[in-house]
Amino acid sequence: MTRTRTLGIAATGSALILALSACSSPTTPTASPTDEWAELAAGETCSQLREENPDLVGQTKTNALNPHTPGYETISADDPNSYEGFDIDLGNAIGACLGFNVDYVPVGFAELIPTVSSGQADWIVSNLYATEERAAGGVDFVSYSKVFDGILVASGNPKKLTGIDTSLCGTTVALNKGYVEVPLVEAVGPDCEAAGLDAPTVSLFDSSADCVQAILSGRADSYMNDINTVMRYIAEHPDDLDSAETVMLDYEIGIGIPQGEHAFRDAVAAAIAQIQSEGIQQELAARWKLESSEDAEPTILSVG
Amino acid sequence: MDITGFLHYLTLPYLVEGLLVTLQLTAFGFLGGMALGAVLAAMQLTRFRTLTVIARCYTTLYRGTPLILQLVFTFTVLPHAGVVLTPIVAGSLALALNEATFFSEIFRSGIRGVDQAQTTAGRALGLGPGALMRRVTAPQAFRQMVPALGNEAVATMKNSALASIIAVPELTLRTQQLASSTFDYFEIYVATAVLYLLLTGAITGVQLLVERRSVRIAGVRSRPLARRKRGRAETTAASTAGLGRGPGTPPELAGPVEVVEMRGGAPAEDGRPEARGAALALTGIVKRYGERTVLDGVDLAAQPGEVVALLGPSGSGKSTLLRIIDQLETRDSGTVTVNGAELGIGATGRRHSESRLAAERVDAGVSMVFQNFALFSHLSVAENVAGPLRWVHGWAADAAAARAHELLGRVGLGEYADAAPASLSGGQQQRVAIARAIAARPRLLLLDEPTSALDPELVAEVLRVITSLARDEGLTMVLATHQLRFARQVADTAVFMAGGRVVETGPAERVIGDPSTPQAVTFMTAMNAAEV
Repeated sequence: MTRTRTLGIAATGSALILALSACSSPTTPTASPTDEWAELAAGETCSQLREENPDLVGQTKTNALNPHTPGYETISADDPNSYEGFDIDLGNAIGACLGFNVDYVPVGFAELIPTVSSGQADWIVSNLYATEERAAGGVDFVSYSKVFDGILVASGNPKKLTGIDTSLCGTTVALNKGYVEVPLVEAVGPDCEAAGLDAPTVSLFDSSADCVQAILSGRADSYMNDINTVMRYIAEHPDDLDSAETVMLDYEIGIGIPQGEHAFRDAVAAAIAQIQSEGIQQELAARWKLESSEDAEPTILSVG
Repeated sequence: MDITGFLHYLTLPYLVEGLLVTLQLTAFGFLGGMALGAVLAAMQLTRFRTLTVIARCYTTLYRGTPLILQLVFTFTVLPHAGVVLTPIVAGSLALALNEATFFSEIFRSGIRGVDQAQTTAGRALGLGPGALMRRVTAPQAFRQMVPALGNEAVATMKNSALASIIAVPELTLRTQQLASSTFDYFEIYVATAVLYLLLTGAITGVQLLVERRSVRIAGVRSRPLARRKRGRAETTAASTAGLGRGPGTPPELAGPVEVVEMRGGAPAEDGRPEARGAALALTGIVKRYGERTVLDGVDLAAQPGEVVALLGPSGSGKSTLLRIIDQLETRDSGTVTVNGAELGIGATGRRHSESRLAAERVDAGVSMVFQNFALFSHLSVAENVAGPLRWVHGWAADAAAARAHELLGRVGLGEYADAAPASLSGGQQQRVAIARAIAARPRLLLLDEPTSALDPELVAEVLRVITSLARDEGLTMVLATHQLRFARQVADTAVFMAGGRVVETGPAERVIGDPSTPQAVTFMTAMNAAEV
C-alpha cells in the first residue's frame, strides 16, 4: 500500500533524525578545578571554608553566563566545547577553594538573572555589573572587581566623543541589551535637547560582536563596554577602531547568587577575599590581558 | 571574506553538532506540534462547544504571543511553579506548543477541504465516523496538507534558532558564541547560513518525496492516459453511432434499451403505503429548513423487488426524501422502516449516533447512488468497490477483489479496474458508483438522479446498468429521476411529488402515461416535450 509506505518512510526518517541527534548530543562544556588551584584549596582559609560549608563540597554549581566578552568569557576558539577567560578561571578558583565543580549554561545577557532566580543555574560569574535594579531580579551580588568603561569608536574618533556626555548628542550608540550603559546614555538625551541638539540614538544588540560590527559597518558611532573588552576589539581591528575615553562608572562587577542562599553567598565572598589576598585575581587579570583591572573588596549588594 | 576560514567553519564539528541539535529541536517541535495540533483540530471540529472554546483560547494565546516570550516562559518561569526543564526539553516543548496552533489550522483546513460528497458516500456505504476518517477523509486531507506541512517543518527549523537565548546549544547559539570568541564574524555566519540551507534542502527533499508518494492513488498500477483518451473517443463514437456496442459499454447490456417487464408487489391502487412485509415504509415524513417546509407529511412504501420512481419538479423534495431514508439527513417527524427495522430514531426519540446509524444502514441493507458519483478519488476503481467490502463488511481481501472485478465486468469496466476514478468519463464513474453501491448485496438501493450530472450521450450507458439491476437482481429500488421514458420502462410504481407532498401515486405506466392530477399532467407534458 502506497500510504503505508509513505508513513513508513516518514517514521523511518523521524527515527533516523532522533537517533542521529541523540548520538551526537553535545555535552555541556564543563570544567573542573584543576591542579592549578591545589595550593589555594589546600590553604588554611579554604580548608576552613569547606569545613564550615560541607553542603558545597562535591557539588556541581552551574554558572549562567553570556559568553560573548573576549578576555572574560567566550568559548575557546581551539576547543569550542569549553569556555575560557578571566571569569571562567576565577569561578574555578572559587570552586576549588570551596570544593565544588563548575559547569555552564550559556544564555542571552538579559536572561542571566531570570535563569538563576528560576533555579535553572546556581550562580552568575559573567562580568556582570552589580546594580540594585539587577539585584531586584532575585539575586544578591558579591562584588570582586571595579568597573572601568571604555568607549569604542571608529579610528580617529570622528565624532569627537568625550564620554557619556553631550558629545553623544545626535550620534548612534551601540549597546548590548540589558547593559547598565543603556539608561546612562538615555539620560543624556534631555541635556542634548536643552542644548537644541538631537538625543543620542541607542541601538541594542544581542552580543558585543554584533555591536562591534555596527561600528565597523558605519551603523553606529560608538560602543561602550568594559575597557579591557574595548581594548581587545581594538587589537583585533587596529586600523578601524579606536578608544575615545575611559569612564569610571560607579559600579562594581559582581557574582550573582540567588537571594536567600546566604551561606553560599558568604562562602563565595570569603573565597574571593582569599583569592585576592593571594594575588591570584591580579594574576588572572594579567593572564587574560585585562590591563585596567582593579580588585574590589568583596562586598554584598542585596535588596532581598 | 576568507574562503579557507569559511571552509574551516563549514566543517567544524562544533557547528555541525549544533546542526544536529537544531535537527533534534526541529523534529521534536514538528512531531510534538503535529500531535498536539491534531488534538486541537479535533477539539475544534467536534460538536462539543466547551472543547471548541478551550482549543480556540489556546490557539489565540499561542498564536498571538511571540515565540521568544514562550521560550523564556518555559525556561525561566515554569521553574517558579516547580517545573524545571532542561534547555533542550524546554526548547522542544515551547516549539511544539507554538507549532501546534499552526498544525491545528492546517489539519482543519485539510479536513474541511475534502469533498463532502465523498464523505457522504462513505457514510451511505456504512462507514462509521472512525473508519470514514481513516479510510476517506484523512488520506485525502493528508495529500492536500503535504505542502503546508513541509512549510511548517522549515518554519519550525528556523524558529528553533530562537532557542539560542535559553541555552539550547543549537546552531545559532554556537554561531554567536564562536563569532564572539574568534572575531571571524562573516566566515562563521556564512558557514552557518550554508548549514541551515542544507537542512532546509533536506526537508524540502523529504516534502517532495512524500508529496509524490501521497498523490499516488491506491491500487492504480499505471495511469491509463492513452486508454482514457481511447475510451472517451469510443464512447463518443458509440453515442453518435446510435448507442451501439463498444468498449466501455456494458457487454450484456449493449443494444437498444428494452422495455422491462414489471414485477414485484405493486402498491394498492389507492396509493396508501402497505407497511406489512414492505422493503420500505415511510410514514408522515416532515422536514423543515428553518421556516421552509421541504417535506410535508410524506408516506411511501415499496414491496420487496419493487422499483419506485420518484418524479417531480426540482425542489419537490425527492433528493431530501432519499437522504432521509438513508439517514444522511435528519427529519423533524415521521418514521423510516427498512426491511422491518425502524432507522435513525430510537424509542427515546433521540437521533442515533453516527456509528449506530452506520450499523443500521448495513443491517437494513440500504445503499445509495448519488447524482455526482462521489467516487473516492484517492482509490483506484477496483478499490472503490472492494474497499468498503473489507472495511465495513469484513470481507477477505481476495474475496472483495474478486467481487469488485466481477461487478466491474458486469458494468462493462473490467479493463478499468486499476484506473484512477478521475481518468474515467462521468458515465463510467457512475457505473463504478453503482457497482460500489450494490457490491455488498443491499436489499434496498436508492438512486438520486443518477444521470442528471451526465452529458446526454453518457446517460444511456448508466440507464442500461440500472435497468439490468432491476431486471436481473430483483433489487428494491427507489429512484429519483427526470428521465420519464426510462422511469416508465424500469419502474413498477411512480410517485409524483410537488411542494414536499406526494401528489399522485400509482403504476408507473399510468402515472406517467395518463396522470390524473393537474400538477402531474403539467409536469409530464413539459418533461415529455423536453425529452422529444
